[in-house]
Amino acid sequence: MKFYGYLRPDGKAGARNYVALIPTTGCVNVVCYQIEKMIRDTKALPHHQGCLHPSKDTEQVTKTLINLGKNPNVAAVLLVGLGCEMVLCEEVLSGIRKSEKPVDLVRVHEVGGMLDTINKGAKIAADMVLQASAIRREEFGLEKLCFGTKCGSSDTTSGLSSNLVVGEICKIMTNHGGTFLQGEICDIMGGEYALKRLCVDQVQGEKIVDFVRDLYLRGLAMGADVRGSQMTAGNVAGGLTTLVEKALGANTKGGEVPIQSTLEYGEIPKGPGRHIMNIPGHGFENLTGLAAGGAIVHLFTTGRGAPNGNPILPAIKICGNQKTNATMKEHIDVDVASITYETETLEAAGQRVYEYAIGVANGTMTRAEILNFDGTMEILINGPVI
Amino acid sequence: MPKLAKLINDKDNVVTALADVAAGEEVKLRSKGKEIAYKCNQDIPFGHKIAIEYIKKGDKIVKYGEPIGSASQDIKKGDWVHTHNVKDDYIVLDKDGKPLTW
Repeated sequence: MKFYGYLRPDGKAGARNYVALIPTTGCVNVVCYQIEKMIRDTKALPHHQGCLHPSKDTEQVTKTLINLGKNPNVAAVLLVGLGCEMVLCEEVLSGIRKSEKPVDLVRVHEVGGMLDTINKGAKIAADMVLQASAIRREEFGLEKLCFGTKCGSSDTTSGLSSNLVVGEICKIMTNHGGTFLQGEICDIMGGEYALKRLCVDQVQGEKIVDFVRDLYLRGLAMGADVRGSQMTAGNVAGGLTTLVEKALGANTKGGEVPIQSTLEYGEIPKGPGRHIMNIPGHGFENLTGLAAGGAIVHLFTTGRGAPNGNPILPAIKICGNQKTNATMKEHIDVDVASITYETETLEAAGQRVYEYAIGVANGTMTRAEILNFDGTMEILINGPVI
Repeated sequence: MPKLAKLINDKDNVVTALADVAAGEEVKLRSKGKEIAYKCNQDIPFGHKIAIEYIKKGDKIVKYGEPIGSASQDIKKGDWVHTHNVKDDYIVLDKDGKPLTW
């Protein structure tokens, strides 16, 4: 099976060919929404950040916006600014420009109001779409693939089936030279030492332990023991006994594949293989972080049926719960109940779903894309909103 | 007809019930191509764990090939394994390896 993607000027290959409409502050999301409605094949990347952060968060939002623009699923970028936000439009513009993609900027204060900005932005976006539509899919090696993963609306079947299947895919795709991004520090909590042992470099391994400790300490500052909130009453009723058990079930999404490096939120890895990113489990910030890290397809395991996707990252819903596969059919892309009930080998299911994922990279739409259930996203900030 | 239970890693000393199992009923599982049956000592709900060997108080409960906690009392083969007989050993450590106190 081959990967047919869209070549980008930086040599990477995309699974989609969108013109991204990126607001540098949540204040102008509406401008992006309006342009998205008017111009086909554009994608608004709405969020609520960009202003009144401690400087470290402004830096994190700026880097994330740049890396979202660099994502290979994006052909060109129209930045939309207000004009007084903390995130500097020019910095985002020049950051994305390094990828040599077409990128432009409109600012509401400069143009003089929303309506004229929409008009000006839509004209630019229309030209970008015309240019992007001339790019044809071409054949690439499987080493160009970068997958992200997370679990959401999990249940007992997640750790027994879908997560194990994704672990198998991680093995196959990294053997082919691909890149695999995983995070969910809350879910790693309890399993950090097991992951540390898989790190090729123990300095990187120690960072995974640091990520978990930082999350714990941030919880403590709020007077909360996040170990307790991570282990829900529903988890216990479903049969999970300890936090470590839950973490190990979540960590199987990477199997025993060695971990090459740890990444900060939204950071692009320097090489192929499996990487652990400092991202929360919450889907909106999680998928945005992985998209900024360069994932072009997302392997989203679920037990009860999590319907959400991300504007630029097609998310494949993989489910091993027979009941959910029937009741939530319109949201589930791949059924792996065969692993729960052992009617298919893990190797066979891994290969099957890997090929399905390549199909999605080649253009097969995900359920979340078809249903337009992919319009919400968020960028992680760690400090207080001022 | 024995109900199914799932063994994830051959190192594990617990399996997961794939159906509600009543006390006295058998579950079967596959390990290294072989089918093994275990009689359950208590009612065990879907998704919960069953001991497949004797686990002494203080010994580790192993799932996914890794310890997930330790037995807070002696656990017999076929026993339901959950919060009533397992201690969660997880604590967050500071940079020097000392427990961070809550």
